Amino acid sequence: MSVEQALLPPWLGWTLLLGFSVLWIGLGVYWGRRNKSFEDHALAGRNIGLALGSATAAATWITSNTTMLAPQMALQLGVWGMLAYSTASLGLFLFAPMAGRIRQLMPTGYTSGDFFRLRYGRVAWGIFLAFTLFYSLTWLVSMAMAGGILLNTLSGIPYGWGMSVILAVCVAYTMRGGLGAVIGTDFIQSLIIIIGIVVVGIAVLAHVGVEEIHANLSRERPELLNVLFPAALMAIFNNLLFGLGEVFHNNVWWSRAFAFREGVAGKAFALGGLIWFPIPFAAGFIALASGALDVPVPSADMVGPLVVAKVLGLGGAVGIFVIVFCSLASSIDSLLAATSDLLTEDVYRRLLRPSASPETLKASAQWITLGLGLFTWLVCLPRIGTLASVLFFAGPLVGAMIWPIVTGLYWRRATPTGAVGGMLLGAGIGLVSYFAIGFYVASLVATAVSMVWVLACALLSRSRFDWSQLREAS
Amino acid sequence: MTFSSSFLALLVYGSLGWCMFTALGLAALLIRDIRRGEIW
Repeated sequence: MSVEQALLPPWLGWTLLLGFSVLWIGLGVYWGRRNKSFEDHALAGRNIGLALGSATAAATWITSNTTMLAPQMALQLGVWGMLAYSTASLGLFLFAPMAGRIRQLMPTGYTSGDFFRLRYGRVAWGIFLAFTLFYSLTWLVSMAMAGGILLNTLSGIPYGWGMSVILAVCVAYTMRGGLGAVIGTDFIQSLIIIIGIVVVGIAVLAHVGVEEIHANLSRERPELLNVLFPAALMAIFNNLLFGLGEVFHNNVWWSRAFAFREGVAGKAFALGGLIWFPIPFAAGFIALASGALDVPVPSADMVGPLVVAKVLGLGGAVGIFVIVFCSLASSIDSLLAATSDLLTEDVYRRLLRPSASPETLKASAQWITLGLGLFTWLVCLPRIGTLASVLFFAGPLVGAMIWPIVTGLYWRRATPTGAVGGMLLGAGIGLVSYFAIGFYVASLVATAVSMVWVLACALLSRSRFDWSQLREAS
Repeated sequence: MTFSSSFLALLVYGSLGWCMFTALGLAALLIRDIRRGEIW
């Protein structure tokens, strides 16, 4: 987007970008002083309290998608679009009891990979690593790319510069401060995002009432108020299962379960879900106001910033810039930390250097974070615009991992054959349906196929897993 | 069949109020954790 079309002058965008960059890196360096070993770096000493735990669960799930895509979904799918998006909070609610059980079964565990290796053996572990690394790297690249595009659209900062700065800042404070810095900054970022969304919402309502929005929609876009909007109803299931698969399998969430103090994990994820649940409505309804406010929307993905800039002027544009920057940073830092821990623990330590000291592992995790940042930067540099579809492509992969994880955590009868077959068959048939039918059924088919296979294998099995084997994770 | 104006108002005002409540709740939780020495 050209500088003339941007909502903020570039000098103001650069000032905000540099101000927040200095703040996050400063905090990362300050908090990183406490880290002596890999456990301190990767799991913040396993002592995170309820306030930071709840905030990090919510903040990590508030990506730039939440703040930018929620208005877009509202504009395209109406009231159901917001409801569909909010179902992603179910992932956090349902992971709450699982997090408590993970902490109880694996008090010295490090990653979700540890669970697969100890519960199902090396074949399932290998498949899990392939699936989760593909998904995590795709998510990381899409977030960094979204960062460059959004900063360019909002302030005219060139794409390459915006993407490079946001990535470099997240790499710097994650590398230096580890998970402690990620969780600490998540707390500040979550408060900024929530307060920003409330201020923006109140400002919009000061300009146009709900009655007026409803009357305008009834006249101009009645389908957005339709209780039986078919496309929106299908989006609910896809979003729900994608969210469940993502939260259940990804090390972003498992590393937090391991990092929270004993007794905190379940409560923190439940509170995180409660904090996250209203965000798609609060951020999404402003798109529904675009018609009543007479805001022209040239592209649906910019509806949120355009409405806010209309009602709040320069102040609103600054607010949106800060909200988007915080949303991006809170997700990119978490992905960098969790993926580097997965590579350090599951690849470097378990496959290459089993005798590595805690200090060596900490240094390795820091270098791997830097390597991940460089890899992401190289992939993002050409500005390929098709990564959102690659992320949807990963839907069947994460959907196929739901049942192996749930049954593996709670059911002694769950077997390696069930887990391996469930992941491969579910992902395979899910991908076929992705191409043959559409993205909106892919996760559903993958989850259903995986469920049938996993449950059948468990019911036919005579083996009973010994839970104490999971305690060998350290 | 369409969503009514009052349902839309409930969603909008409810979500904004909920967000405000959670922001205050998070701040209160942080103060409680700091006082107990349980922040991290």
